[in-house]
Amino acid sequence: MASVETSKTRQKPRLLLLQEDGPGEDPVVRELDFDGNMSPGHPENGSEKLQNWLSSNHICPCGPRQFAEQELARKMEELARSNHELEQFAYVASHDLREPLRMVATYTQLLAERYRGQLDEKAQLYITYASDGALRMQALVQDLLSLSRIGQEPLPLRPVDCNAVLADVVHDLEPAIAETSAIVQLSKLPVVQAQASLLRQVFQNLIGNALKFRGKEPPLVRVFAEPEEKRWLFSVSDNGIGIPPESQASIFKIFQRLHARGEYPGNGIGLAICQKIVEHYGGRIWVESQSGCGSSFRFTLPLQAREQAREA
Amino acid sequence: MPAPEILVVDDNPGDVDLIRESLIATPFRSKVRSVADGAAALGYLKRTGQYQIAALPDLVILDLNLPEPNGHKVLTWLKSEPELRQIPVVVFSSSKSPADIARSYDLGASAYVSKPADLRRFFSAVRAIEEFWFGCASLPAKETRERPDYSRSAD
Repeated sequence: MASVETSKTRQKPRLLLLQEDGPGEDPVVRELDFDGNMSPGHPENGSEKLQNWLSSNHICPCGPRQFAEQELARKMEELARSNHELEQFAYVASHDLREPLRMVATYTQLLAERYRGQLDEKAQLYITYASDGALRMQALVQDLLSLSRIGQEPLPLRPVDCNAVLADVVHDLEPAIAETSAIVQLSKLPVVQAQASLLRQVFQNLIGNALKFRGKEPPLVRVFAEPEEKRWLFSVSDNGIGIPPESQASIFKIFQRLHARGEYPGNGIGLAICQKIVEHYGGRIWVESQSGCGSSFRFTLPLQAREQAREA
Repeated sequence: MPAPEILVVDDNPGDVDLIRESLIATPFRSKVRSVADGAAALGYLKRTGQYQIAALPDLVILDLNLPEPNGHKVLTWLKSEPELRQIPVVVFSSSKSPADIARSYDLGASAYVSKPADLRRFFSAVRAIEEFWFGCASLPAKETRERPDYSRSAD
């Protein structure tokens, strides 16, 4: 049993093979390590003792393929669990942080108002710093909460008419559209299985960005969708400042900003939210762009919503 | 009309002070009493222990995020007491979670107001609550509340 016993303390997993060398012969256990070395058949192979040992250690004698499948399933389960824990953590943290933060923000505000004129210039300035910091942190925590909330309180999937969603979004963005003399061209869009409120956030962020990161010309934003095999491919393209290739992957990260706060306002949450929503539905989002030549944000939504999303 | 009484159930003294600040110099001259947890709220409303001479409030402003029993439990209890359940309860919480909101209305809250993060808005939210309940809404008379008698209802 020596070789089996030492596998308890192994660092790398090894594979135990239960093999029958010929018809009628007792099964033989061989150990295969991950460098591909096979041990010779063990003398006590196939014995009841070994079977007991295997089952008491929750090892199921199986072939290499089954073994790999089990490993994969276990890893997937682990990943899903740690992912869920992380989301839960972000949700709880951002939720519970708001309360004390609100105290800091409101009381610095109250301090500034109540004692205006009684404090010297420096004290006033310091209060402004504290107050601005608290307000910015509130915005960040709020963003973090909105991000972690996606998928936390699952809503049933319904057929959503993207044309209606876009009409709402354009209506909401009307002031920015007027201010920038933008033209927003909408093609006919499909009906998809989703939640209108989430889809709305996606389009709101993408079109909002197209208006915000505009070039010298008035913005021209085009929204269209093409059917592909098993999915819709949506595009929101603009003639704005574009995104250099080396930054295109990082723009979807949370709180990632490519510009100074004074240049373009925002916390860097919009695209992270878009990505989370699109991936929640089993789609993918990316950008095609060149510096100075506009950007084209593309995302896919499956024709059939993901199984998991439908159950939720 | 005697000054209306508000019972604030909130464990955060900062919020209780903000509520008091909000209601200074309003025309209603509301009296704001406060307790910091569910047990004290129950004691106050049942007028037991140190609260024997407490006046029944006209309005309860209830935080959700209380040490046990939490706000939802306090609300459940309040609505199960015949002599207390007519008192309007405004849930005033920093939570904006749809689940918290739905549950509060399920349990009989008269309104759910999220605590605004901005000072001005906080003040105006509290003043709006006061203005609505004492300036606009009709409240049950305290006598009928203590001994419910619906026989003399108007026809």
